[in-house]
Amino acid sequence: MTDLYDRYGSVVYTVAYRVVGERADAEEVVVEAFAQAWRDAGRYEPGRGSVAAWLTMIARSRSLDLVRARGRRDRLTASAASGEPAAAADPTANPAERTEDDERRRMVRQAIEALSPPQRQAIELAFFEGLSQSEIATRLNEPLGTVKTRVRLGMQKLRETLRPYFFERVT
Amino acid sequence: MSAPDDTALRDLAAAYVLGALGPEEVRAFEAFLAASPEARREVDEYRETAALLALAGEERRPPPELRARVQAAIAATRERPLGLARRSPWGPIAWVGLAAALLAAVALGARTRSLSRELSARDSTIAELERRVDELGQGVFDRDAILAAVLSRNVRLAQLTASGDPDPAIQIFWDKARNTALVNAMGLKPAPQGRVYQLWWIRDGKPVPSVTFDVGHDGAGLVRGVSVPADGELSAAAVTQEPSGGSQQPTTPILLVGPLPKS
Repeated sequence: MTDLYDRYGSVVYTVAYRVVGERADAEEVVVEAFAQAWRDAGRYEPGRGSVAAWLTMIARSRSLDLVRARGRRDRLTASAASGEPAAAADPTANPAERTEDDERRRMVRQAIEALSPPQRQAIELAFFEGLSQSEIATRLNEPLGTVKTRVRLGMQKLRETLRPYFFERVT
Repeated sequence: MSAPDDTALRDLAAAYVLGALGPEEVRAFEAFLAASPEARREVDEYRETAALLALAGEERRPPPELRARVQAAIAATRERPLGLARRSPWGPIAWVGLAAALLAAVALGARTRSLSRELSARDSTIAELERRVDELGQGVFDRDAILAAVLSRNVRLAQLTASGDPDPAIQIFWDKARNTALVNAMGLKPAPQGRVYQLWWIRDGKPVPSVTFDVGHDGAGLVRGVSVPADGELSAAAVTQEPSGGSQQPTTPILLVGPLPKS
């Protein structure tokens, strides 16, 4: 499990930070997420996806739980809103993995930038703020059907673009 | 080919993975999921896609001491009596329960499909209109983004050509302020099966791998938001054909090449 932490700790921490918005809570989420992954290891099905995606979704779920428990659902999720500086390059990281991660990160940003702003907004509200499509429609004052279409078409587009960049299936 | 009601339910896959469905939609979709391996594969792919959204923002590095906290939490979990389920603990009773649950799911799925058939017939026109509006909006957004990338005052144009053949050409609109480029390919043949075109930056005389792309049957291709190395002296750009997924070093001769503007 510590091998997984060394490989994916940064990804897990990044998603936790993006959702909860500050360092102490993000650290708490990371600890809980890895402990849960350890407890639930028997439920992980390698044939159904990468361990990185599994860990990320656990971390995202724990992060949303924490935000909901603390009633901070309406805070800004944009990382730019935080005063804490982003990571500098980690000199201890495996250079090959580092290059691969950088390329994946670049392609994800590019794919998200290629979405129309309304699609991007709907998907980010769902993923990072845990809003349902109905809640997104209410928040944006848009018809529910429109929000559903945006989520569906936006995710379809991301899936097609990012398929070559899915996390590697390692255990 | 899927029936319309199945299609309507499959359309929920992305929102399901994002946790954005209402409780009733979740129940209907999970019943459908239990009976559809195709939908399960789709959900798996959307889960991989959603997980990548974690990389969308700025990267955050966990503090070094967090590793020890994670280790301690795992050790505490390991020591808990009966706290670790490394193997499936399901006994015969659990399997009976599972079988009953599956039967219920199949029955619920049949009822759900019947209802969704009526709903999908009613909603199909609206959904099609919404799809068209969204696609038109996406088209306008794409065109705006392309115009912005081409017309910015910081943009410099480079032309890659094939020596002796004026037909295939690539334009690179290089935004020097943002270190990004828009790559516009014209007159190229679509890459053969299993191959792609790959762009290379020539930095200090050495090729630096960049984006891979292909062109349509009209020979045209457009790639936006291509990162340009910010460090070192870029003198030229070139294009080769590489195996799908790209290469770290060129493995075939250069097809197109051209100098990059100095300022």
